[in-house]
Amino acid sequence: MPQLIKYLLLLICLGFGIVSASSDYSEQLLLRPLHPSSLLASFNFQSNASWESFEQQNFRYFPRSLGQILQFANTRELHLRFSLGRWDAENWGARPWGGAREGGTGVELWAWVEADTDEEADGRWLTLTNALSGLFCASLNFIDSTRTTRPVMSFQPSNDHSNATLANLHLLHGTLPREVVCTENLTPFLKLLPCKGKAGISSLLDGHKLFDASWQSMSIDVRPICPEGPGDCQIQITQTIDMVLDIQRSKRPRDNPIPRPVPEHELRCDTTKPYHSGDTCYPLDIAQDENWSMTEIFGHAMKGSCPLMDEGATPVCINVPHARDVFTSGGAVERKDESGFMRCFELAAEQDFEVVLPSQDLPERAPLEQPLLYAERSFTGYGQERGGVQAILTNPSTTEAVDFVYMESLPWFMKVYLHTLKAKINGVDGDVIQEMYYRPAQDRKRGTQLEIRMRIPQNSTVVLNYDFEKAILRYTEYPPDANRGFDIAAAVITIGNVSIRTTSLLLSLPTPDFSMPYNVIILTSTVMALAFGMVFNLLVRRFVGADEAEQWDIRAIRLRLLAQLRTIIGRFKKEQKVVKTE
Amino acid sequence: MALNNQDASSPTAMREPGEDSTASVHLDADAPKGAVVAATKRKEPPPETLGSIHLRTTVILSFWAIIVFFGLPLWWQTTAIYRADLPLDEMMDWDKGVACRPVFPLRISIEASSLQEHEAQHLLRTTQHALDDLNDFSAHHLRLQLAQPANASTAADGSTTGGLEDEVALTIKVLPGPEQASELQSYSPVLDIYYTPNQVPSSSSSSSPLATYIANQLRTIFAEEQAMIAHLLSTSSAPPERSPKAPPPEVAEALAKWTSRSMKYSPTYHLTFSLFTPTATPSSWDIETAIEEHMKPLLDTLSSISNFTIDTQVQLYASPGVSGALLKKEDLSGFINAAEWPLSPSIGGAPTINFILYAGDMEVEGGGRSWLIPQWGGVVVQANVTDLRPTMLIFSNQLLALLGAPEAGSLPLRLMTLIRVRSAGLLLKASGTLGSLARLTRALPSISIPQSVAEGVYTTIEHLRKACDGLGGKEALRNARIAEEAAEKAFFEKSMVGQVYFPDEHKVAVYLPLLGPIGVPLVMGLLKDFKAWKKRRSAI
Repeated sequence: MPQLIKYLLLLICLGFGIVSASSDYSEQLLLRPLHPSSLLASFNFQSNASWESFEQQNFRYFPRSLGQILQFANTRELHLRFSLGRWDAENWGARPWGGAREGGTGVELWAWVEADTDEEADGRWLTLTNALSGLFCASLNFIDSTRTTRPVMSFQPSNDHSNATLANLHLLHGTLPREVVCTENLTPFLKLLPCKGKAGISSLLDGHKLFDASWQSMSIDVRPICPEGPGDCQIQITQTIDMVLDIQRSKRPRDNPIPRPVPEHELRCDTTKPYHSGDTCYPLDIAQDENWSMTEIFGHAMKGSCPLMDEGATPVCINVPHARDVFTSGGAVERKDESGFMRCFELAAEQDFEVVLPSQDLPERAPLEQPLLYAERSFTGYGQERGGVQAILTNPSTTEAVDFVYMESLPWFMKVYLHTLKAKINGVDGDVIQEMYYRPAQDRKRGTQLEIRMRIPQNSTVVLNYDFEKAILRYTEYPPDANRGFDIAAAVITIGNVSIRTTSLLLSLPTPDFSMPYNVIILTSTVMALAFGMVFNLLVRRFVGADEAEQWDIRAIRLRLLAQLRTIIGRFKKEQKVVKTE
Repeated sequence: MALNNQDASSPTAMREPGEDSTASVHLDADAPKGAVVAATKRKEPPPETLGSIHLRTTVILSFWAIIVFFGLPLWWQTTAIYRADLPLDEMMDWDKGVACRPVFPLRISIEASSLQEHEAQHLLRTTQHALDDLNDFSAHHLRLQLAQPANASTAADGSTTGGLEDEVALTIKVLPGPEQASELQSYSPVLDIYYTPNQVPSSSSSSSPLATYIANQLRTIFAEEQAMIAHLLSTSSAPPERSPKAPPPEVAEALAKWTSRSMKYSPTYHLTFSLFTPTATPSSWDIETAIEEHMKPLLDTLSSISNFTIDTQVQLYASPGVSGALLKKEDLSGFINAAEWPLSPSIGGAPTINFILYAGDMEVEGGGRSWLIPQWGGVVVQANVTDLRPTMLIFSNQLLALLGAPEAGSLPLRLMTLIRVRSAGLLLKASGTLGSLARLTRALPSISIPQSVAEGVYTTIEHLRKACDGLGGKEALRNARIAEEAAEKAFFEKSMVGQVYFPDEHKVAVYLPLLGPIGVPLVMGLLKDFKAWKKRRSAI
């Protein structure tokens, strides 16, 4: 826990400390090598605008397109997330920014909208999602009432809303777990930045690298801040991009990306293995001492620093032990901090900046923070009708219990049986649920919302179980590629300021054959025609003895047809003869 | 199904024995023995009772009765497309320009306090004559009147009241002076005419140099407006005899340019002022005060026509779509880097007019530093952004041009012309939309027409009528705007589009499986019974 606090403090220094600085714009890149052979790159861009200029729509660092949308939709606070991949908490430790800057797989959006009534809030939410959908080239307009929830315990607004505003704020939350985040979302994201990817750390962002990452998350947060008290308020926009890059994969040349075996002379073998010999090798884990450079990882060097920042700002930091060799290009000033694991660089304005970390054997590693909670979630059950959800939540701490809120927002076609909700602690039924908020689904109108406040004692594992029934959808409600299944949004776990999201799930529903309507028409018609034909014939036909009935002799018909054919042929021949005689 | 073979009511079963024998005789010629034997072995069924024949007929007829009197209407009802009644002829009339004859009667008040009453009357008459002789365009008509003495005092100090402004397009003040001259006041619609004492017309002469002079002056002032309206009418589908003679080519070209560059009319416009910097500096500009000082007064004046909302932005590292320090004329269209510059239109629904200040060192070939992009906005290239006054003046001129105001004349006159031209344009546009809707309705019989479309059409016609009656005033502009909105809404009604693309193949696929198997026994039953009935009749 002390480690965690230290880490959080560090983040606060990096992320929020610059708020009090005089400049209205700041940016920061933190590079942190992760085990095994990965690199976490955290980009953070922050700018402030005075509330008056925002109201008058005089935009300088705050992006105009986003500002207009927020004003038009009366949105006072906005959080938008685009995420891809899975954070490997076992190997990578705690999440960057305490998980506060990430969302579930796909797109996640929550906002505090100012409105007098719920209906008005819904209308403005619709405006907001539609406008953002256009701005970010994402399907945000598909966040309709079935995907929108109003969380009660999980999210809290910023502290700096005025009391009058706070009374009319409505929190709305929507997710699109199916959305595939890609380059078309990054381009509008970069356009919002004052330096636009032309200078500063944003020049390192490249769709090819970002969406090749093992895990990535883009976030936009807009919130009011009042550093000097309620009279002097500002609006703050924070944009972050976090990505975990596979160093080996990134170093492959772009024109030849096929992985190849390491040449024999570069192979480092574990010589302690009994089978080690000239032709057998157990490769050593070389991750920690991986050599890499900015150019290799991001494709090119950084194009100077963004000149909008304060003098003396340090836009690039690397979280490695002080003993590690770090070489930089000229003009950069290195600043090491006291913790022993962090160094930052002050850059020259117009000069390209390059960082090279050579291969090095070091016993020491930058400490990895342990997450407060490990969470995983999966489906149980079998068949096309019944299913279940199991969430395994582990508190790794040996000393402290952990209090948190577990939130699920499920689609309406997952019909949850709440009475089956069971929590087992370390394998036995236990009373860990303290409070629960449940809003049942309504078919085709809204989804299930479930928020559970729990407390897990130290060193314990809680298994949360509940069953659900799969609804059968209407023909037109299936998406294209219906057999792939339906993505179920990630569960959100909120522990104070820290948040954790589980992976999203893939639910397969009974899928019809999509030529069904026509088959149904044909079958029904046939049955109806059969029934009708029988009844009709019974009514209009006359019944006579078997010997009195007209005989249908197939031979007679054949003979008659043959005779007719012969007469026709005969006539034809005769005509021909006539022609010849003429 | 074996019952089918015992069908007694079939026409062949009802054949007379004689007929049967002819058939067998015919067959005898080439058929083997067995077949003939089988045919002759058949025993005739006992004759049917009249009751059972009637019963069968009744059954068949009742089935058909149900189908015709219940099935068909039900099918008709359930598959009918709702088509609200539209006044198609009236709509076409509007489109053809038959329903409304756009006339712009402009009242011009003459204020001649220095002249005697009868002299003034005479001047009025002769000037009106001279005007009528000069005017070849009946839709745009200048009517002179003498100013009321009460109004004269208010007009004298140059500030006309609002009510008067609505009525009178221009006030002419006839003043004695050292020599003949005319002066258009800049900030009020007043034309000062100076005359020398010997020019006062004698009551006997039918024309006077002063009257001709005034008429010529008036004509010069309103020439541009007249040309604009004439151009609008000639490009609409109005009958050609209404339009005046074609303007000279250079005027026609100017008018075509004017049409292509002016924005679509809207009650609200959104103005976006953007500073684009190719590098990191300058990163700020003093836009708030510049707008407050140089833009707000103009916008306040324009508020009688449209409202304006404003936003501003600064964008760094913005490279234009073309490179090089000297911009060629053909480069200008590519200057705006639409892919990278964040110039998305405002989301409020009001059309956005963009004004761009590019803080780079560039010059247009031939010396200019600013240009106008039709229906979009204006661009100024200026490296130094400390003094925004010249830029704002350029932007003001560009705004007026984009709104479609005429180029010459004093500001109040230009604005009033703008109102008249805009209402004429909206009127013609709404009429054209009505015509298109009528043609669409006629061309696509399978399209559904919801009630809301009919309501929109009636609203449009009502407001068009009002606008047409009062053309020239602000009320007409308001009515024309409502009409145009209603017409567009009716034309682009969403539910009308869906039905058009429902192909006939689908209908066949849905109907055939049911109607085929049911229809065949029904029709065959009816035919057989009909034949049997005919046979019975011929037998009697």
